[in-house]
Amino acid sequence: MAVAPTITIHVPGPLRAYCAGATELSISAHTVRAALEHLERSQSALYRNVCDETGTVRRHLNVFVNSNNVRDLDGVDTILTPGDVVTILPAVSGG
Amino acid sequence: MADRVILTIGTKKGVFVADAAKPRRTFALRGPFGPGVPVYSTLIDTRGTPRLYASSCNPFFGMKVLRSTNMGKSFTETKSAPAFPKEDGRALVNIWSLEAGGGKKELWCGVEPASLFRSHDGGDSWEMVPGISNHEHARKWQPGNGGLCMHTIIRDGNRMHLGISTGGHYLSEDSGETFRASNQGVGAGFAPDPYPEFGQCVHKIARHDDAPGRLYMQNHGGWADWTGPGGPRPDIGVLRSDDSGRSWRSIAKGLPSDFGFPIVVHPHDADTVYVMPLEPQTRTCPGGAPAVWRSENGGDSWSRLARGLPKKQSYFTIQRDAMDIDRLKTPALYFGTTTGQLWIGREGGEQWDCLFDSLPPIHNVKVAVV
Repeated sequence: MAVAPTITIHVPGPLRAYCAGATELSISAHTVRAALEHLERSQSALYRNVCDETGTVRRHLNVFVNSNNVRDLDGVDTILTPGDVVTILPAVSGG
Repeated sequence: MADRVILTIGTKKGVFVADAAKPRRTFALRGPFGPGVPVYSTLIDTRGTPRLYASSCNPFFGMKVLRSTNMGKSFTETKSAPAFPKEDGRALVNIWSLEAGGGKKELWCGVEPASLFRSHDGGDSWEMVPGISNHEHARKWQPGNGGLCMHTIIRDGNRMHLGISTGGHYLSEDSGETFRASNQGVGAGFAPDPYPEFGQCVHKIARHDDAPGRLYMQNHGGWADWTGPGGPRPDIGVLRSDDSGRSWRSIAKGLPSDFGFPIVVHPHDADTVYVMPLEPQTRTCPGGAPAVWRSENGGDSWSRLARGLPKKQSYFTIQRDAMDIDRLKTPALYFGTTTGQLWIGREGGEQWDCLFDSLPPIHNVKVAVV
């Protein structure tokens, strides 16, 4: 398999406490799923905020690759390319 | 020497803490703590240096457990919250109960979907309790309106009583290793069989140390007019057991409604029990006039306690964990409403005053003297 592309994960403010204050994380992953699995291994506290016990991205979070919601792409199977920015954002909801 | 009365108030927008000197004339309020998300369970752990715990149901980032070691001046997250094993297939939705265990730092936690967790280190790590979480009935329980929640954990020596909505009452007699459904006499109004083995919508269970074997239950009542299969089911909403939960009988006669959520026992008199009857359809105060009802004879008769409470136009709900009673010589009751009012019932509920009238909707109220 080809070398996984290096991408950037942008960490939202409320989650930075779970990764030593980092605003961005640079990792190598072929897909969003692989990026999340990388987080599970390397940033387990951060990962638990993003995915539930079954590995599913939490319902009220959105994951973007660059400016596209992965929901409109191939979900967590969306392919990543070098330089992509993966952004995790809380959905607009509440009351 | 214990000299402060402390309240934890779990709301839709975080946890508040209020405290007062023993006369309880005025309470100072602190908070909200947490990220502004619902808090359905709190615990005032008075073993050793008091610790306060609160669940924090974050819809974005999942469940957390908050802990305060400074009497509620600040809260921090514990190192982890309960979580199902990855291979289990279930995901935690909410935390509905936090209770102190037998060991110095032991905690028990009831969650949604209905399962039980245990911590040996004050909430920093948790393990699922398989005897109930993987019970053969567990995948057959159905969620009630509030979700499939394990809301009551009562320890009594080697016995443990669990209340599950909708699952019913489960009893362990080996310190939580194994459990069995124990619902003889506990009715269900929403199933053709009025007395199923399990699946009842138990709302809350309470006990008293001085009355071994006795339990009180607020069950899902409001089925007196049911005309479907099995016929009417009056008075199934408020129950009592005298054999450690093996069988139950109605004590609802005399109440304006057998529907309600909380049930609380007087700290110094096991025969004195309190409920808050609600209209079963709207789940609000009957006639818009809230009242706590008290029995002083173990449920044989009931009297209305409403002095100081609104006489009309009050249609709030009191949720299952939103009423408690302190342990002072002449105890006071406390209840929180879905409209954000916190009431104190002085002299055992004889005189009611509103302590705070504009909090967020209240899910949980606990009190301790520390």
